[in-house]
Amino acid sequence: MSSFWLKRSRSSSSLLLQNPRTKTRTVESSQFLNFIDSNQNHTVLPSGLSSFLFKALKNSSGSDFNRSKTCFFGSQYQQFFPRNSKGGFSFFGTQAATEPSTADGLTVEGIVANRWTILDESDSDWKSHAAAIAQSIQVIKRRLQWKKLMVRLNLLSVELNKPDLWDDPVHAGRISREHGSLMGKMKEVKAFEQELLEHIDMIKLAREENDTELESESLEALVTMRRISNEKELEALLSGEQDPCPCYIEVQAGAGGTESMDWAAMVMEMYKSWAQRRGYGVTVVDEMPGEMAGIKRATIKVVGEYAFGYAKSEVGVHRLVRISPFDSGKRRHTSFAAVAVIPIMGDGSTRVQINESDLRIERYRAGGPGGQHANTTESAVRIVHIPTGVTATCQNERSQHQNKASAMAVLQSRLDQLEMTRQAQMNAQHTQSLTEISWGNQIRTYVLHPYRMVKDLRTNYEVSDPDSVLEGDLDGFILSYLSASLDKDENIEDHQSAQSQSLIREEEEIPESFMASTITNSTITTATVLREEEIQSLNNSSIQADVSSNEVVEGNPRKWQPFRRRHILDGYSTEAVADVSSGGEDDIRDTNKFLE
Amino acid sequence: MKLSLIRTYSCNIFPIFHKPKTQSLSLCARSRRPICSSSLKPKIPLFLRPSNYSATLSDLKKWHDWAKTLSSSIGSSFFDSDNGPDSSLLFRELNWLIEDSLEDHSLIPQLGIQDNSTNVRLRVDIDELYSLWKQRIEERKPFQYIVGCEHWRDLVLSVEEGVFIPRPETELLIDSVSDVVSNNEELRQGLWVDLGTGSGAIAIGIGRILESRGRVIAIDLNPLAASVAAFNVQRYGLQDVIEVRQGSWFEPLKDIEIEEKLSGVISNPPYIPSDDIPGLQAEVRTHEPRLALDGGLDGMDDLRYLCNRTASLLKPGGFFAFETNGEKQCKFLVDYLENDNAGSFCNLKIVSDFAYPVEVVTEQTIN
Ligand SMILES: C[S@@+](CC[C@H](N)C(=O)[O-])C[C@H]1O[C@@H](n2cnc3c(N)ncnc32)[C@H](O)[C@@H]1O
Repeated sequence: MSSFWLKRSRSSSSLLLQNPRTKTRTVESSQFLNFIDSNQNHTVLPSGLSSFLFKALKNSSGSDFNRSKTCFFGSQYQQFFPRNSKGGFSFFGTQAATEPSTADGLTVEGIVANRWTILDESDSDWKSHAAAIAQSIQVIKRRLQWKKLMVRLNLLSVELNKPDLWDDPVHAGRISREHGSLMGKMKEVKAFEQELLEHIDMIKLAREENDTELESESLEALVTMRRISNEKELEALLSGEQDPCPCYIEVQAGAGGTESMDWAAMVMEMYKSWAQRRGYGVTVVDEMPGEMAGIKRATIKVVGEYAFGYAKSEVGVHRLVRISPFDSGKRRHTSFAAVAVIPIMGDGSTRVQINESDLRIERYRAGGPGGQHANTTESAVRIVHIPTGVTATCQNERSQHQNKASAMAVLQSRLDQLEMTRQAQMNAQHTQSLTEISWGNQIRTYVLHPYRMVKDLRTNYEVSDPDSVLEGDLDGFILSYLSASLDKDENIEDHQSAQSQSLIREEEEIPESFMASTITNSTITTATVLREEEIQSLNNSSIQADVSSNEVVEGNPRKWQPFRRRHILDGYSTEAVADVSSGGEDDIRDTNKFLE
Repeated sequence: MKLSLIRTYSCNIFPIFHKPKTQSLSLCARSRRPICSSSLKPKIPLFLRPSNYSATLSDLKKWHDWAKTLSSSIGSSFFDSDNGPDSSLLFRELNWLIEDSLEDHSLIPQLGIQDNSTNVRLRVDIDELYSLWKQRIEERKPFQYIVGCEHWRDLVLSVEEGVFIPRPETELLIDSVSDVVSNNEELRQGLWVDLGTGSGAIAIGIGRILESRGRVIAIDLNPLAASVAAFNVQRYGLQDVIEVRQGSWFEPLKDIEIEEKLSGVISNPPYIPSDDIPGLQAEVRTHEPRLALDGGLDGMDDLRYLCNRTASLLKPGGFFAFETNGEKQCKFLVDYLENDNAGSFCNLKIVSDFAYPVEVVTEQTIN
């Protein structure tokens, strides 16, 4: 068996620093100072020092102090660490700040706890806006692993305060850089919270004084904040390495013949409409129609920002319960469709090197002699990667050449993903998340009869209007799942927090590396390749579990027989199969299925 | 003299022949006479036409629904009767027809929406769309004639009724040329001939491989084919590499002294036995030119003729590859070459028409 290799790209940097500043307003410096002042009671240093330093720096241009080599400014909210060359004093920013609150003691957590109804953005209800913003802030905090970030900041602060810190300048530099970076993130969130609470204060004040102008101004500001926090929340949810990538979405019908194929087609339609709603480009790469209706399987390519990040939430088995339109007896049927999502990675990122000699390329034609005898626009190509048994088929392009190129692209992505899964499993053997993967996972049930409901079994998110969901209104499901996965990440990290408390680490930027590993895990958890055999066995098992006396599941032992009625005209015979010793049993079985 | 015969599992097989390098050259100079290309004007394929028409999305949807219903009524009946297209293939073709007719592809997804009065720009009148799809289904007119083009390799070639539609199998002839040329600069810079060029597919495929270092002459007896080929050559900007000439097989080359001069001869000549023609798929039988298909009683009239003549025209080390009806014709040709042209060729190979491991079956020595 030949092997393949790959190169990992560097993990992406953390979200808050990376963000383009889309803010329409920034926190003014007065607020900044205000904020620093408000930290006084928590700092171990004499109060007022921070503002004093701020002024000192501003006024001492050209002074010895300002030129000191360890003094640097970070971003807008970043703390600075001046130290005079004689080692006279050092200063570090504070760790945890007091919980910011409004004049009447309302905190961000308090807002969330109030469970105010979140209405549409167009509804000018400040409570709704505030609740939406507070929720986003919570998601962002979870992404940052807030609790741990605070603990770490404390540790770093203590370290920075040690008088002998700068005896080891390399170590000191690392500590102060990390401290600066974490501080920046912490402050950005805090400033955002502060801003929210100030607007609330303003609104309350405006109401008391009947100042409608001030009220609508503040409301306006809340709406702006809501948009920003929405964006930030999404960025927090979608910070996996592959999340920004385009992707393939594959749907495969389960057992149950026409009934399931019809369901698979409905699922595919749902994703097409979802992608179109989001403004993504959709192309059908491969589609194997059912004999009577629906599809046996299909692959679409979805191109647009964060296509993979969203779509990965859909991986798993989708179950439908309805009165079958194909059953004259009008009985209730249960059908299954399996969904796989594969990221299409850009050049320069993780790519498996494919050896031409490891490939078996098959083409399909309608039965009978080809060449001049036949005129057909059918030019499907199937490529088998012999060492792994991974296959890719394409038949929707208009020439064989293009079908081959498309199939190669699908194959590449599948192998990339397989390799990533393998690596993630190696890297993360000690974490729980990966052992939880099971393809037996049904993720969602769509019930059209006897009642109407769509329910996600992972998050319990539920919608009572299946039609809207099938028309592509999936974002509620997706976001609730993404947000739930974030919690899972944090829990995993909590288990490990003992380790993370050790101060001496190799990485320069600790939060990034934390995140990189977490993100990789969660991405993999939700988006592994569904291989044909796996889906097949999965279907068998889920079907058996689901048969009840009044539900009919049409039995069809041979479920996937692509290219039935089509024959491989050329270049492929049993001899050729026998040749492929490394492919083993699977391959032969596969091929027979194909030849049928 | 050594002959190696390489065989694989295949139906459509190209014999590939190399001439031994030891032959001496006999040069006799003759004058070159330029041949004017035909005055027939080729039709512009649908996807290249200007978007002079418009319709509302809902009218387009109405047509689309009608066409889908018509297509699904076919089921597998064409397939069962003569290996013709089934509904699912027709659906796919229908999507491509929309792609070629609609200026703005981003509107395609909206075809599913009811009562959409958005206007779209079309390259063809909506009434014409009805009649085109009727022709596809009722007259079994090949899809490629409907849209006026065929996607072949990475090319989009213009075709029209009266000109043979290139087949996917033939894409592989180009791969075999690419293989020989890749490590033989002398062949890359030489003169190549595509006999019976049809839409110009092979000539253009080779022309792009030669990377303007060599030259190709594309020949067809059918004047319409010659003009369509010239149009396609133009579209790919290969006028300086490929010259299209109208006439029968080698006849248009009379002006050039080509004895033992050609680097390569490539052809997909008519090879269907005359008696098989009535049983062909309706698209082929009733729409494609018989001149492109009929290879005489055993289908080998043209193949035999081309083999004979090629022997004396190829330069030493030259290369030739023909598409045939399959293994039987191939074997026959190899025997024929071994017996009647003994000594002219070495390295006879029968190459499968797709990328499978090639298996050496026999290797024998003649003389
Ligand atoms: C099977 S088609 C091949 C066309 C093209 N090479 C391709 O592969 O798509 C055979 C072609 O040979 C041409 N042909 C038939 N008899 C010919 C002759 N005597 N001289 C030149 N061309 C001829 C036909 O017009 C037709 O275009």
